[in-house]
Parts: sequence; structure tokens; C-alpha cells
Amino acid sequence: MQERTDHPDENIGLRKLVLYRDTVVTEAGATPAEPARRASVAAVIRNPWVGTGPSADLSPEQSRVAPVLARLLTGRLIAALGGADAIESFGKAAIVGTAGEIEHAGALIHTPYFGNLVREFLQGESIICFADTRAEAGEELVVPLWHKTHAATRSHYQTISARVSDAPRADEIVVVAAASTGPRPHPRIGDRVTDPVVTTETLEVVPS
Amino acid sequence: MSVRKIVTVVEEIHTEGGRAVAQPARVAVVAAVVANPWAGQGFVEDLAPGIEAHASDLGALLAPAVLDALGAPAEAYGKAAIVGLGGEIEHGSALIHTLKFGDHFRKAANATTLLPAVEKRGPAGVVFDIPLKHITDATIRSHHQSFEVRVSDAPHPDEIVIALAAAAQGRPQQRLAPLTTEQ
Repeated sequence: MQERTDHPDENIGLRKLVLYRDTVVTEAGATPAEPARRASVAAVIRNPWVGTGPSADLSPEQSRVAPVLARLLTGRLIAALGGADAIESFGKAAIVGTAGEIEHAGALIHTPYFGNLVREFLQGESIICFADTRAEAGEELVVPLWHKTHAATRSHYQTISARVSDAPRADEIVVVAAASTGPRPHPRIGDRVTDPVVTTETLEVVPS
Repeated sequence: MSVRKIVTVVEEIHTEGGRAVAQPARVAVVAAVVANPWAGQGFVEDLAPGIEAHASDLGALLAPAVLDALGAPAEAYGKAAIVGLGGEIEHGSALIHTLKFGDHFRKAANATTLLPAVEKRGPAGVVFDIPLKHITDATIRSHHQSFEVRVSDAPHPDEIVIALAAAAQGRPQQRLAPLTTEQ
């Protein structure tokens, strides 16, 4: 978000965009070997399905609104983190206001109209991990991230918080895309290739 | 200065009151989470050496960063010092209430007025509101505004969050009569 931009498509009912970025300089008193920048970008939009009931067909609005959000959010993420090449892990989230259904949040983040496009814009291959909830304005949602091409890369399991102080209102949805340029500050819990075989039989003390 | 992390928040308002904002309204905040220089020392009578050691460096770090995040000339600005539970509010005030700190922002923004501030003590994740006023005339009513910030894991008890805020304009749908109409 380095430059002012024109209004994106007003037809999605966009109220505001919020970028949150953090850069770890030191953690536990030491500089990370691979310092990472993490960011989330949240868009606050009008819930297009408020008052429509549980049998309403979500597909027309979903295919219209979600691609605009995917483009908008990833564009801001890429600008905030120094390019799609710099991004190593990603995640997504939605918070639906109290007049909506969780299904409405899901409609905007769990279909190809959002997920496939976010993956493509961020040059990833993995399924995108997610969080969603229904909440009052100002609720914080912790957004999980994992590696954009190798989801099982343990060093990249991390989270970033997303919160908009005055959203979602009851008839709004907050849609979030998030990413990191690297691993946790001091990753040292091994990986699949270094793990021993762990079963109830190999453990000396088996939880009962 | 021991910095743990730098947090940037940029908000862009596109509609307010149900109407489009003529040009999306931008506010940016950059916060540094730093070690409280006086942590664990009991009551320190003379804060001047610590101020001398850190205040200018903090101003030099944050001022260009917040203007870069804003991506436009600042028209309103403000600052914050949020002290962890182990410190005194006086410690936060020490780091932001000197010309050594504030002049970096004033110079970078071509500003002349005093920086409005919030000073507060709280746990990690405490919410704080930064007041902003016009950078050359604090009586310009259209630019009176505030911006809510929260850093989820700061300040620790022995830390201080120091932040600068900048707005590229006044409130998104400002339409109050100016002060001069009442004088």
C-alpha cells in the first residue's frame, strides 16, 4: 500500500481496506537467521446475502465478488511484502457479521473464484489454509499460514492476526488474505524428514 | 535501541456513511516494539541519559517509515507511547515528549505544530487510540481524528510500543463548520 489507488470496483460494496504488517527484528533477544515480514490485508464489504435465507443460491454473487476481492487483496499483499516472489507462505480468512451465516464467509473464500485466483496471483501451489468466524466488530481473528508450494514445510507454520476495529458490522463481511516472506523467527522443531517414527509403541511413556 | 519488531498498519476508507469518499482516505501507523531502557532499575530519578540514548534514534526510525507507508503527504499526525506493565508511563513519555524525537517527524512532514499523543500503560494486546491533528494548524477542525491500534503480543511488561500516525487528509466525510465561524 505504498501509493494511492483509484477506487476498486465499488460494486462489491467495499467500505475499507486495512493492511497490517509486522517485521521481526529480534525474537527472544536474537536476530532471526531469515528475517521475515508477515502481512494481512482485510477488506470490509457489504454482505451481499443478508436477509436471503438458508436456501438462497450463493453462486451468482460469489462468482462476481470473490474474484474482485482476490485481485484486490493479493495486489496489496504483494505491494506490502515486496513482490509475489518474496512471498513464501499464505493463508486466508473471513469474519462474517452477526446478521450473516458462516456459509456467506465460506462463499467468498472457499471457492475457486477466490482460492484459485489467490494461489495464482501469489504463485503458489498448495491448498490455502484458513480461519473463519462470525463475530461483532473488532474481534481479532488469528489467520494461519503455511508454505505456498510445500504445505508440510514445518518451519513455515505460523499465524498473523487480523482485526478491524469497527468491522464487521452485522451486515458486513471482512475478507482477509495473508502471507509471510519466510519462516518463524527461530524454527527448530525439525521436519518430516528428520522426525523419528512416533507411535504408541515407540514411546517409553504412553499417554493414558 | 533494542527493537523487537516493527508493525505497520494502513487503513484506506472507501465509503463512509453509505457514500463513497471522493478519494479513499488513508491513515498509516508505524510502531516499534522496543525494550524499556529503564526496566528493572527501580525508580530512576534522571531519565535524561536514556532519552539522550534512544529518543532521536526512534524518531529517525519511525518518521520516514510512516510517511512511506502513507504514500502521500501527511496533513495530520500524532504519536503514541504504550508502556508495558512493568514500567512507568513516565518512561513512555520520556521517549516521545522531547524535540529530539518529534522533530524528525516534523521535519520529514514539513510540519510545525505539536504532536498530539496518547500515553498509556497496559498488557500485551492493549488497544490504544492515537489522536491526530493538522500538521501546521491544530485548530483546523476537519483534521481532528483518531486511529485505533493494537499489537497482539506487545508490549511485554519490560517493553514500550512507540508509534507515529499520519493521515493524508481529514476525516472521510468531514463537514463541520470551521472554528472561525464561531469566533
